Formats: sequence, C-alpha cells, structure tokens
Amino acid sequence: MVLEATMICIDNSEWMRNGDYAPSRFQAQADAVNLICGAKTQSNPENTVGVLTMAGKGVRVLVTPTSDLGKILACMHGLEIGGEMNLAAGIQVAQLALKHRQNKKQQQRIIVFAGSPVMHDKKALEMIGKKLKKNSVALDIVNFGEDDEGKTEKLEALLAAVNNNDTSHIVHVPAGPTALSDVLISTPIFTGDGEGGSGFAASAAAAAAGGVSGFEFGVDPNLDPELALALRVSMEEERARQEAAAKQAAEEASKEEKGGEEQDATMTERASEGASEADNKKIEIADDDDTSLQQALAMSMDEPTSSQGLQDTEMSDAAAEDPELALALQLSVQDSTKDSSSQADVSKLLADQSFVSSILASLPGVDPNDPSVKEVLASMQNQSEPQQKQDEDKAPKKEEEK
Amino acid sequence: MSAAESATAIQRNQVDLLDFIDWSGVECLNQSSSHSLSNALKQGYREDEGLNLESDADEQLLIYIPFTQVIKLHSVVVMGSEEEGPKTVKLFANREHMGFSNVSDFPPSDTAVLSSDNLKGKPVVLKYVKFQNVRSLTIFIEDNQSGSEITKVQKIALYGSTVETTDMKGLKKIEDH
Repeated sequence: MVLEATMICIDNSEWMRNGDYAPSRFQAQADAVNLICGAKTQSNPENTVGVLTMAGKGVRVLVTPTSDLGKILACMHGLEIGGEMNLAAGIQVAQLALKHRQNKKQQQRIIVFAGSPVMHDKKALEMIGKKLKKNSVALDIVNFGEDDEGKTEKLEALLAAVNNNDTSHIVHVPAGPTALSDVLISTPIFTGDGEGGSGFAASAAAAAAGGVSGFEFGVDPNLDPELALALRVSMEEERARQEAAAKQAAEEASKEEKGGEEQDATMTERASEGASEADNKKIEIADDDDTSLQQALAMSMDEPTSSQGLQDTEMSDAAAEDPELALALQLSVQDSTKDSSSQADVSKLLADQSFVSSILASLPGVDPNDPSVKEVLASMQNQSEPQQKQDEDKAPKKEEEK
Repeated sequence: MSAAESATAIQRNQVDLLDFIDWSGVECLNQSSSHSLSNALKQGYREDEGLNLESDADEQLLIYIPFTQVIKLHSVVVMGSEEEGPKTVKLFANREHMGFSNVSDFPPSDTAVLSSDNLKGKPVVLKYVKFQNVRSLTIFIEDNQSGSEITKVQKIALYGSTVETTDMKGLKKIEDH
C-alpha cells in the first residue's frame, strides 16, 4: 500500500506493429498499461498514474499523474504508431512530470516499456540512472520486443545505476503464446514489491484464468504458502475427478437426473464454470423429461463416485472462496468416502418412506408436495438424498442422518 | 559580533534544537542507504565517529528538517573528516520539498564554507536575522573538501532558541525573506 505517483512510458514506435505478441506488440502493451493502472489505483486510492509516449514526433505526455482511471483509459485510444523511441528523453520528461506531482508525499516511480532498440549508449543511460537515484525515483523496465546489440545489457546497466534497495526492477518478456499482461502480473512490477497488489492481482488473475475465484484459492501464497499449496493440490485432484465425471455426465446427460429442483438450485449456487455446464444440462432435462426420472435415479445410483466428484468440485470451489471452508472441504472429502459405504445402510433407512418424507419436510427449500419430489420419493432408492443434505447443510446434517 | 561573543552566546541562551526536530518529516536526498541521516543527527549516533551520513550517487546531499515548532536558528555545527567532509553548505529556511534541480532557483538564506576548524566542531554562526521564524530547514551540501565522489558527514547539530507563545497559524503566514 505504498503511496506512489507513477509515470508509464509507452513505446509507440514502428517496431510495435509486429505481431509476435498477440494481437500486436502495441496492443499487448496497451493491455498491460491498463492492468498496471488498475493495480496501482486499487492498491492505494491516493496513488496517481500518468502516461506518456516516447516515439512519434517526440515525447508527449498524454495524461499527467491522476487517480482517475477513466482518463487514463481514454487517452490510450487513438494512439498512432510511428517513429523511433527516445528512451533518455522519455525518462527525463517522466521525471519532470513526477517532480510536479501534486502530493509531494508520494514516492516517485517510472515504468518503461522498452520494445524497440535502444539508441543511447551505456554511459548516457547510466548517467540518467544516477540522476534518478539521486532524486529517489524508482524505475521499472519491461524489456520486450526487439532484442539486439546489447539492448539487454544497456537496460541492465540502467537498472543497476538506478536501483536503490531493490525498489527498481527489470522484466524480460520473450515473445510467445502468453500475453504480455499475464507475464507481468506475477512480477514485482505488479505486486508492488511483494506487499499490496494481491487484491487486484487476484481479480486480474480471475479475469485472465476465467472463472477461478479469488487470488488462486483466495490465499496469497506470500502470506500462507502451506495453505495455498494444500488448496492447490486438492483443487488438482478435484479437477482430475471432475474431468472423469464430466465425461460420464456428457455420455448420459439425457438420462442422468438428480432428484428435485433443490439439488439443481444448490448446484447452480456454487457451480464453477466446469460444473455448471453439466448442471445446466441437468436442469433442462429435469424440466423436460419426468418419465426418465426413474432411469436417471437408477443411473445415479450406479455411479455414486461421479456425482460425488461433482459435489466435491462444488465444495472445493466454495472452499476456494473462503479459506475457512478448506477445512470443511477436507472433512467432506473424507466423509464422502465414508458415505459410499454407509449409503448401503442409509438406503435401507430410506426404504421407510415416512422417515424420508419427515426428513424432506425438515429441509429448507424443499416442498414435499412438489410432484417431482413425490416421484423421487416413490423410487425409494434415492441416492441423492444424502448428497442433497450434504450440499445444503454440510456438517450438522451429516451428523443428523448418521 | 566577535568570535568570543558568539561562542558565549551559544552557551547562554541557545539550546540544541534536537528536541524540536519533527522526525516524521525528516528527509535526505542522495543518501546511501547504509549510512543514513540518523547517523549524523540523532543523539548518540552523531557522537560515534564510525557512523557517518554518506552520499550515494554523487557528492551532493539535500537534507530537509522540519521542526515541531517555530524556532530561531543561531548556529550550526557540521563535523566531518578532513577530506571527505562537506565544504560548501547552503541553508534554506522554510522551503519545502526542494530538489537538486531547484537549489539554484532562489538564493539561500545563508551559505557557509566549512574550514577544518568547523569540521572539528567549531560552530558556524549564521545570519541570525534570516532565521527568525524557521519552521523547516533545508541543508544543501554542495561539495566536499577534496572533491571526492562521496561526502561523509559525521555530525550535524543545530543551535538556536524557540519562539515563545507562538500562534502557529499566524506564524505560517509571515514570509521569510
């Protein structure tokens, strides 16, 4: 949560037309800039960010340090590519812009995107670096795009001249399938020297990964590495199980049916992307085809493991959102293995319809007069009942039925 | 004022202003991280000859010291080694957030060229009239005795007196020349 004023120096030279970073170098840069601006303003609301371009006709300041994210995003539109990057002038103008920041208490930082060849010699860059260090300005360098004739060396020399107590960083991003922004997310440029940014990095990672809630399991690996590791391992196990279950579910999608809409409701509440696809199919099928209910129940009886796998995935996703539930996850994983053995006993209990209906009545959200519920009851072999209870009311209900 | 008079004036009504320094706002530009300003300013550290304030990228240093109340500054003591101790010292009163680029933008409140006596502990008497209402002091060390890359300062001590019964808001408006 360092209070900081940042100037971002964008390279909009001719070299940025190249498409070796998807979709083009310039676009990848623009995405990275957007992410950085968001991260900075999120980590501390009083942070300010400004943007300037280094190529084109000359160094041009697009927006002076401001905390208004909208302004920054707007100025990135309609930027033209052309000319050659002038690194020295860019850094010096950035330093000037920072000098005139409104809140003098902010730390000064410059982030440079160096995508084209560096014309200046090492000496000149070192002088600039020394001047930055003297005025306690930190410098982050993103080395991407062209790599030629000692560009890396020069940038490393510049970094060495500026660096004061590891406040400055350099990141080399090679061309490849991963987007520039994704690579940057894990670097100290984003995480702000390992302290604040995990909040924004979390949502950024979520947007990038698509549907994974929280900062990779809701736990910052910096804060609690053991918990993060345990969650990651259990997530991978669930994924493997989920894939196997998804295959089976896809095969028998038309026949598989969980008893009642309560089941679907709970599933949709907690489903991640992967599970929700299978669930949606089930919901549609429940509405469409009541007569296949018996078949579906028979099928679901035959494969307690697959349904369990899906259940556990939901639970692990829920646990992902709340690290305290990780313990519950462990418990449920253990318990569900026990359940498969105890289900034989439970099914005998379920043979007593009055017992089943009394239990159903006590469940929240269950209407015993619902026709589909009645059909389910009629089957007497409903495996999903104990699992339903697990979903809705994990620990206390489990104890109840046992 | 003769040298003898000024020396006794220091003893008489001038106090060491160490207690009135607002430590939360103290800053030093271009200091080396292992040899920081506390080595030169703080009680105990400044007496230790092994602990110095050292410059980093080049030989200049810019020190900003705010005070908890308004003071009158009478004299300063700057101690350092014969070669690497500071030579030209410029003092600016009540200038906030100066940088190396604007030290030459306005004239200093006073300038002192330190002799070897000063470096051993002899106080430098300042133009008292210029330092009557000082809320903050900026010390710009321009070069050192031998012209080496690093300037080393062993001790900085400020002597003066406080302004009694001050109305803080009123005082802030008074411009210092």
